[in-house]
Amino acid sequence: MKGRGLSAYALLVYLFLYAPIGLIVLISFNAGRQASSFTGFSLQWYRTAFGNRLMVEALGNSLSIALTSACMAAVMGTMTALALQRVTGWRRVLYDGLIYVALMVPGIVIGIATLIAIATVRDAVNPLLQAVWLDAPRFDLGWGSIVAAHTLFNMALVVVIVRARLAGMDASLMEAAADLNATPWGTFRQVTLPLIAPAILAGFLLAFTFSFDDYVVASFVNGREVTLPLYVFASIRRGVTPEINAIATVVLAVTVALLVLAQLVLRRAQRPRLRAQVPGPGG
Amino acid sequence: MKRAGPGRRRAIVTALLLAPSTLWFVALLVMPLVVVLVFSLGERAPAGGYQAGFTFANYLNLPARLTAFTNTLTLAPVGTLLCLVFAYPLAYFLAVKVKRAKLMLLVLVILPFWTSFLLRTYAWIILLSGKGIPSWLAVVGIEGVRLINTPTAVLIGIVYGYLPLMVFPIYVSLERLDKRLLEAAADLYADPIATFRRVTLPLSLPGVVTGCLLVFILLMGEYLIPQLLGGGKVFFIGNALVDLFLQSRNWPFGSAVAIALVVIMIVAVGLATRWAKHQGATREVSLL
Amino acid sequence: MNKREFLHHLRRYQQGSISRRQFLGATGLGVASAVLATELGLRPRRAFAGDIGDRVSLCTWPSYHDPANLELFTQATGATVEMTVFGSNEEMMAKLQAGAAGYDVLVPTNYTIRDYASQNLIQPLDLAQIPNHDPSAHDTRFTGEGAVDGTVYAVPKDWGTTGYVINSSEVTEGPTTWKEFWDLTQTTHSGRVMVHDYQLTTIGNALKYYGYSFNSIDAAELAKAEELLLAVKPHLFGINSDYKPSMLSGDAIMSICWTGDAVQLRRENAAMQYVLGREGGEIWTDFYAIPADAPNVKGAYALIDYLVTPDINAKEVLFHGYPSTDARTNALLPKELLEDPILYPAAEVLAPLEFGATGLITNEARAELFARFKSA
Repeated sequence: MKGRGLSAYALLVYLFLYAPIGLIVLISFNAGRQASSFTGFSLQWYRTAFGNRLMVEALGNSLSIALTSACMAAVMGTMTALALQRVTGWRRVLYDGLIYVALMVPGIVIGIATLIAIATVRDAVNPLLQAVWLDAPRFDLGWGSIVAAHTLFNMALVVVIVRARLAGMDASLMEAAADLNATPWGTFRQVTLPLIAPAILAGFLLAFTFSFDDYVVASFVNGREVTLPLYVFASIRRGVTPEINAIATVVLAVTVALLVLAQLVLRRAQRPRLRAQVPGPGG
Repeated sequence: MKRAGPGRRRAIVTALLLAPSTLWFVALLVMPLVVVLVFSLGERAPAGGYQAGFTFANYLNLPARLTAFTNTLTLAPVGTLLCLVFAYPLAYFLAVKVKRAKLMLLVLVILPFWTSFLLRTYAWIILLSGKGIPSWLAVVGIEGVRLINTPTAVLIGIVYGYLPLMVFPIYVSLERLDKRLLEAAADLYADPIATFRRVTLPLSLPGVVTGCLLVFILLMGEYLIPQLLGGGKVFFIGNALVDLFLQSRNWPFGSAVAIALVVIMIVAVGLATRWAKHQGATREVSLL
Repeated sequence: MNKREFLHHLRRYQQGSISRRQFLGATGLGVASAVLATELGLRPRRAFAGDIGDRVSLCTWPSYHDPANLELFTQATGATVEMTVFGSNEEMMAKLQAGAAGYDVLVPTNYTIRDYASQNLIQPLDLAQIPNHDPSAHDTRFTGEGAVDGTVYAVPKDWGTTGYVINSSEVTEGPTTWKEFWDLTQTTHSGRVMVHDYQLTTIGNALKYYGYSFNSIDAAELAKAEELLLAVKPHLFGINSDYKPSMLSGDAIMSICWTGDAVQLRRENAAMQYVLGREGGEIWTDFYAIPADAPNVKGAYALIDYLVTPDINAKEVLFHGYPSTDARTNALLPKELLEDPILYPAAEVLAPLEFGATGLITNEARAELFARFKSA
């Protein structure tokens, strides 16, 4: 067929996808300040990048927010997906609707809505909190509100992914396990969990990615905290020095390294055992 | 149902499992949207912001942003279609033609997502600005090409940003096809185009619809790409929202626009899902 | 600190009992030594009394503070300066109205002060805690707007003008008026001109084309301005308040521009020239203010006091390129700077300029006009 043509096309697409990334990496080694003219090879930006207190702080914030949000989303999303299997009727429709809306509402609307909600509610909640618990942390925009807003979308994402996996699982397997195991927790731990683990992991990774790279929601609910995308955006507007490129290249390199590592670990894990092939969606 | 004991315990366990997400949905989805709804019925405070009130004036004023709505409702489908056209052959290649290193090639498609979206867009600004691609074209003899700050640049940015998102569902759909089916069809139909049209495409329709829905939904709320690559000259609904909340600070009107956007999206997605089901694209169509 | 104490600290430092940093901090020399280094004269440094906490949050504009100065502040007081940068007064106001809290020092522009005060977003200043600020050293034309009905809410930081910058290697017509700016945009330099994504300056300078007031909110005049803007839009390269990258890369050759940005552009490219339209335009003052709910008010006063100190302020001017309202600071600046037409334009050029009026950025008619312009 048109095999040769398709391969060539695929190559072009990959080039298209990676051209800007190549440019980013290239600029990170630029000896000059302007991104538009390459004047020589230098590692200076890597040195200054990690000495830039504000940027390192932003990177730290992004990592902690993304990690927290992804973990919470993975746990809560899985719980929800499992529970929804047993929910029927109008409650089920309601939940499905909520999940749908959480995924569909644009980030900008969520960001704005959360901002004005917190601003509106905060003046009522804080005095109450103070009355109940004297040294209560102020309920306000900041690290917490970013995590909370991200977790909404991330959790819905995990629910969808895990549910798809659960739906593809053989129900008789679950029943057989339920008969064999004394406790439902045992069934869950030994049968269900290993089977949905790939889905939970996929959800976790996706959630982490979305949270780490989110600009829109964070720009509204961040209060005084600065995340990496916020820092990058502020720099871009002023004419970025290649410092940003250095950080981005490092993040990319770490990601690639992690992926290679994961690939090696998976390959090692696959060899000795014979895994039961459970049909499920997804590649 | 079984005996009251285990049945009720199951119900309690289910309720407990659902408690965290219920809390989240109520506190961070329902409540904020209710607040937005309330704001949309209010009035603009003299210095900007919200002032309590009850009026439908903001909704009646929606046509003032008609251009933003038409821009978005034109460019979003076009962008989605372009994404589809560029993504499908790649997905087909990966699902059907590639034998080895499939996973790695797939990961390579999504890897760009791991670099900062803003930086990738910024790289496009450099590529599309006067010293980028237009200057290369000038070397070849094509002069006076203006790419940056045009709707074309915005479309390029959209395709670039959303391509991986379109590739994955289509790939998943094609991957599950029995390849022998395709071979048999190729034997039956002499023309490869007919094979594609009669067999491949209908079978991959669930993936196509999922991908298109995903991209379209995200595009409706997009504002960064128009702002950065359109130079402030391309105005999407998202840009109108940013303007209303952060510049002119007409929050009631902004809330009305936000509600209108959500309603349009729910309607559009509902219609698309209904159409896809009608086309016989099986129950896998929905996102859930 | 008296001589004996100073010598005591010096001996301890020489013996290695205290670190250099502690020595500099204890004697207050840290700040002074940097000042010495730039030959701006040594002034007696008051060591900061009392503990002002470990961070002060500053809410300001891009490229507006010398990082070295902030670092020195940290060394002298132990408090790190967190900087949040906004793109426009509208954005700052939106975030503050939405309840973004936790900022200690704001840098608002003159036309926002009355609005902030009336919404209780900023607090009246206790000038006794800003001893380095000398009201008599400032031209009252600039400082007047810092006080609302007699109560001082803000002290001036710097002033500036809004004109337009041209890349003279490509813009060779030597324009001097706003009429030329808008005309050239539609003709010779179509596709290479930028305007601010800011209704105050863009609408204001469009009004100048017809000779109307920069602050006009008259419906008929605004209609003419809208006409002009809509006619110009297809010829614009972009509507963006971040015009420096495009000016430097050559994509844009003309743009509405603020004083300090013009100075910074000229540093990178000597062909950049700043033009103040002869019909008039905007003159503005930026102030330091303290939000009503600032968490670290002591730190805020300390930071403001530090930054308005004449020699520190002079270093700031050298960094950001915006002129100072303070006569004492100006006395410390090199002569070339004081005669620089961008920073300190001649009196006749300044005369027709207007200060932005309060209520302009909250005016709904202008905001809607601008939205129509952007969506056209």
